[in-house]
Amino acid sequence: MSTELTIQTQLMVGRAASRRSLVFFLIGALTLTTAILNMTIGSVDLPFLSVIKELFLPVQGSDINFIVWKVRLPRTLAAVMGGAYLACSGLLLQVYFRNPIVGPFVLGISSGASLTVSLVMLTALGLKLTYVTPFLTTLAGIVGAYGVMVLVVAIGAKIKSGATLLITGLMFGYVCSSFTSILTALAEKEKIKGFVLWGMGSFSGFKWIEIYILLVLGGLLVLAVFLLSKPLNAFLLGEDYAASMGVSVRRFRIFILLAASSLAGLVTAMAGPVAFIGLAVPHMARLSLATSDNRVLVPGACLMGALVTSLCDLIARMWLSPVELPVSAITAFFGAPIVIGLLLKRGARL
Amino acid sequence: MNKNILSVKNLSLGYKKPILESVSFDCPQGAFVALLGPNGAGKTTLLRGLSNHLRPFKGTIELLGLPLSSYKALDLAKIVSVVMTDKASPPLLKVWEFVALGRYPHTGFLGRLNQLDLEKVTKTLLDVRALDLSERFVEELSDGERQKATLARALAQEPKLMLLDEPTAHLDLKHRMEVMGILRSLCRVKNITVVAAIHDVDAAAKVADLILTLKDGALTSCGPPHRVLTPPSVSKLYDFEQAGFSSRLGAIEIRGDGLAGQAFVLSRSDHGAEAFRLLSKRGYQISCGFFPSSDLDAHVARALGAKSYEIETDVNNSESILNQASKDLKEALFVVDAYSQTQEGLKGDGAQESQILSQKLLKVASEAGLKIIKLGPQGDIAPLIDYLDAESDFKLASAQN
Repeated sequence: MSTELTIQTQLMVGRAASRRSLVFFLIGALTLTTAILNMTIGSVDLPFLSVIKELFLPVQGSDINFIVWKVRLPRTLAAVMGGAYLACSGLLLQVYFRNPIVGPFVLGISSGASLTVSLVMLTALGLKLTYVTPFLTTLAGIVGAYGVMVLVVAIGAKIKSGATLLITGLMFGYVCSSFTSILTALAEKEKIKGFVLWGMGSFSGFKWIEIYILLVLGGLLVLAVFLLSKPLNAFLLGEDYAASMGVSVRRFRIFILLAASSLAGLVTAMAGPVAFIGLAVPHMARLSLATSDNRVLVPGACLMGALVTSLCDLIARMWLSPVELPVSAITAFFGAPIVIGLLLKRGARL
Repeated sequence: MNKNILSVKNLSLGYKKPILESVSFDCPQGAFVALLGPNGAGKTTLLRGLSNHLRPFKGTIELLGLPLSSYKALDLAKIVSVVMTDKASPPLLKVWEFVALGRYPHTGFLGRLNQLDLEKVTKTLLDVRALDLSERFVEELSDGERQKATLARALAQEPKLMLLDEPTAHLDLKHRMEVMGILRSLCRVKNITVVAAIHDVDAAAKVADLILTLKDGALTSCGPPHRVLTPPSVSKLYDFEQAGFSSRLGAIEIRGDGLAGQAFVLSRSDHGAEAFRLLSKRGYQISCGFFPSSDLDAHVARALGAKSYEIETDVNNSESILNQASKDLKEALFVVDAYSQTQEGLKGDGAQESQILSQKLLKVASEAGLKIIKLGPQGDIAPLIDYLDAESDFKLASAQN
């Protein structure tokens, strides 16, 4: 009797797993296709085979070498990684706050990062330190993100309500934006153009040093999050239940918040504020994989984030070509209806 | 039941300042312990202390002979599991996945479930009679079904001690009974100790082995239900004014305001109980008799705060009882006779005496011209309802004129 029932449970587990494998395969294949499209089409269309050839046997000095290695590959990689990290950050926040409508942008974390990054970019802080700048902005982004995060959490802990949390986040977002505007108004003219472009959010113009920082720092963080998906699952039931199951809550809470704000701050520092990926993608991953199990969702959301962001970047580049649109415009354009649709469908509660 | 699983000494607990002070008790393994007390008495605080969510200000909690604070979180999770009032229902999580979360302290890195874990998940779902729910999403469950899933999750931790905060709150009657039954069988069959904050005194009296009553931040009593849950102590615990507890009935009777006036009920055995409740509901003060103190009617009457004339077979005091009852009768607006219809079938202690007294009183009543309402067979209250309805119609009509 009992073994028969266990076999049933195993079948159930198996069914869920095979569905997940299929979804993973599909998202993976789509991401790869989008990445290839991002490499091949643009103001100059490159044949697929010559891109592949250039990737594996680079010919120094050719046009194609320049386009692939200096423009398209960094941009493709940046979009893939940026999307993955923002989605992972959003997932962490949604699990921690047990609230479906939070994300790095909504909670003001991205704005916090923007503020500190603008401090570096617009004031003398970043002057004549061109080599250090990527590190400095990254650090600034993470510090700003974490600072706002800590404040929001502190206030959220005092007033335990989902709506209050969101409003607090929005308010911090506004405060940070207003400081950023003041800084912009006071800044020297030459600096403003670059800053405004950055402020609209874009994956163009990534330097290789930035790609390496993204890859190493972000990769380590995502790996750590994945390895800790077991306690993250316990957090699905809230801190008290997690503690009763043996999670050392205090340490883990700091880890979640630090990881979430570092990932969001890292991407914001380099690509500028990119809206909706952190909020919408975890939902898309959850629904397509039909689970809240973070062991599945962490890789799932990362992959989905990579796909959605690359797709948005492709659209941003191609839609009104040769005019290039800010990526945030596209992510919001598609992200907002998706979120509203999800809310209507699920009747989500705050 | 053997040694103590929990031993609490001089415990003082709270958040910024103590809510509970100098609480001491021992709790034997495999016992069902019910925490009773009004809202704000500190039940949840005590549970949070026992689950190590709150550090004590003073005093000690020993779990299986070792101080609670000496356990590592993961080791503690293998001994103690909790069910809180917080409705945990993560989105898009199947019931079996939810229950499998309870395997946390037993699974390895990344929480992979092995054959044994799956077996345990299946078994616990079976234990709480929720196996049919396993493929449903937790967020879609009804309150009762979710509570069963929550119990299964706590059970999947394979605890020796389960701490539950109001496990039956917001549940319908079926699930309330089911949850209580499950908890009880956990104690009996698996020797798991259950400590539950409960609001239903009557349910607690029926399932618990040990009752702890908390009031105003202090442990007011601790012991088996028949010792602790006496009518006066329950009334005091909850500051009852309009209700009374009967330990023999295992129930709470709700008293009326007594503003409608006095009524006298003649009854025996269990034939008056429903009439008592009806009259109390309609706001009458009740005097009643004549039955031995062990009759069901006597228990109900006492719980309702009625004045009851009980017969003591070894004392010959029927004269004085009759005198007092006759005095009460003068105050009464009417007499309910739950006695005459059924007297033939009634035997036992004091049957004869009860019959004599009742007949004498009926005579007094009819001489005084009081209205006498005869109940149907087995104390059927339909005639009384008709009478009371007619009375209130009449009152309403005269008030309008």
